Amino acid sequence: MSVIDLSKVPYPENNLRLFLDEVCEAHELDYAAYAGVNPIAGSVHGFVNYPDEWQTHYVERGYQHKDPALILARRSIAPVDWHGLRSAPAFQTIFRDAHDFGIAEQGLTIPVRGPFGDIGLFSVTRDCPDREWQLLKSKILSDLQGAAVQLHDNVVRSHALTRTLMHPALSKRETEILQWIAAGKSQQDVADILSISSRTVEVHLRSGRTKLGALTTAQAVGRAIGMGLICPD
Amino acid sequence: MILIIDGMNRHRYGRVLDEMFALRARVFGDRLGWEVDIVDGKEVDQFDALDPAYVIGLNDEGRVVSCVRALQTTGPHMLADVFSDILDGEAPLRSATLWESTRFCVDTEVLDRGNSRNSVSYATCELMAASLEYARNSGITDIVTVIDPIMNRVLKRSDCAPYDYVGSTKPMGKVAAMAALLDCTEDRINRIRKFAGIEGNVFVDDATAEALADPTPVAEERAMSCSLGWHEPEKPCRQDQLEQYLIDQLMDASTGEELAGAKRLADMLFDKKMIARRVTEMAGH
Repeated sequence: MSVIDLSKVPYPENNLRLFLDEVCEAHELDYAAYAGVNPIAGSVHGFVNYPDEWQTHYVERGYQHKDPALILARRSIAPVDWHGLRSAPAFQTIFRDAHDFGIAEQGLTIPVRGPFGDIGLFSVTRDCPDREWQLLKSKILSDLQGAAVQLHDNVVRSHALTRTLMHPALSKRETEILQWIAAGKSQQDVADILSISSRTVEVHLRSGRTKLGALTTAQAVGRAIGMGLICPD
Repeated sequence: MILIIDGMNRHRYGRVLDEMFALRARVFGDRLGWEVDIVDGKEVDQFDALDPAYVIGLNDEGRVVSCVRALQTTGPHMLADVFSDILDGEAPLRSATLWESTRFCVDTEVLDRGNSRNSVSYATCELMAASLEYARNSGITDIVTVIDPIMNRVLKRSDCAPYDYVGSTKPMGKVAAMAALLDCTEDRINRIRKFAGIEGNVFVDDATAEALADPTPVAEERAMSCSLGWHEPEKPCRQDQLEQYLIDQLMDASTGEELAGAKRLADMLFDKKMIARRVTEMAGH
């Protein structure tokens, strides 16, 4: 088994640790962490933007083997608020230590499942009162879900075989919607042209972006053109 | 009342899960005539081993009267792997904020007609509202749900008409199946609640959840064990394993389309030098 710290590996398109910083910045969060396993590549990945001292302490104590945010959250399909883990074994030990290093108890873990049995866990923290945390959470959770999958897919695609297997399979609907967007049409225009609801356009666009590993529609259009899936207008 | 059971708490709810699998056997096996595997009167499939989430409706006596299963569309799910016919050969939707819901059913033997809290109509709406709320609270924006035409009519009549469909209606057992899209918006949730007269929190409180759990908790080890492991992989997939996989795919292909797909994948991996032999050489293996 190899453990790869992707933050130290030169990366073609993006720096994943930078991505964590950007997510924190955009969503008023303190820290973010990613841990993932790719059974096809036979690799475990992890990177965080926690203070280095806490990372060292965490690994020295072997907390990755008992941290409920990793062990339990991977079995959920929904984001797991750390509030619900307080009675889990090892929670108190780890979080008492974390507190000493300035890491808040307020956090959540988003489990991501990929097509190959690959699993990613994306965690974020924020030091704030309960009420504020609940408000922040409901505001940013959809975006965090998107970020978690984006990050996980990027990690999975860093391995040659899974990258090949993950070659984006767009449906006819996704392709024609991206084609119209490439032709300069707005989402509402596309809905009118195809006689479907704007919500249908949105759900297919979101799926298209996910398959293409794109954060924005513009990026998705660019990639789809680059891969010859749609034609430049 | 609604209880959510997922991989984190399923070890505590053996009784509730057994009742749910028995309900699914009666509905999908007996009534709808789907090709499902029933063992000991319980309908369980391979997706139940993947730690899905179940949204389960119970009556005041704590008996299971409705249920539905949710999976993420980013990973293995039924439309991608089993119900692909419905999609007319098109790729399934895949999104971080889209869940798939399957095996939606209510117990028509225990529930009655009419509009009381013990009716089919109320139980259906309560389960629907609860699954949309659970999804929305998880940051999910839309659900793609595999249903039969009868359920589709029930949704329309309950002021919860799907905003669209993917693929087309396909025969399945005694009825047909289709994939409908539902948004998890406040608006939709409010409409269903209003239709059925559902007020307040539908989810069980901690004390009730505790009362519904099995009397003797299982050992911690069993609770932690899981098919979807944080099993640290021992080694990467080897070239000979990959070739064997491709050979299996070629041999098992039952349609021209599947065969073409298997060949395409093998060619692609050969071009990328991930395997040493060509498809033709492997086929003669």
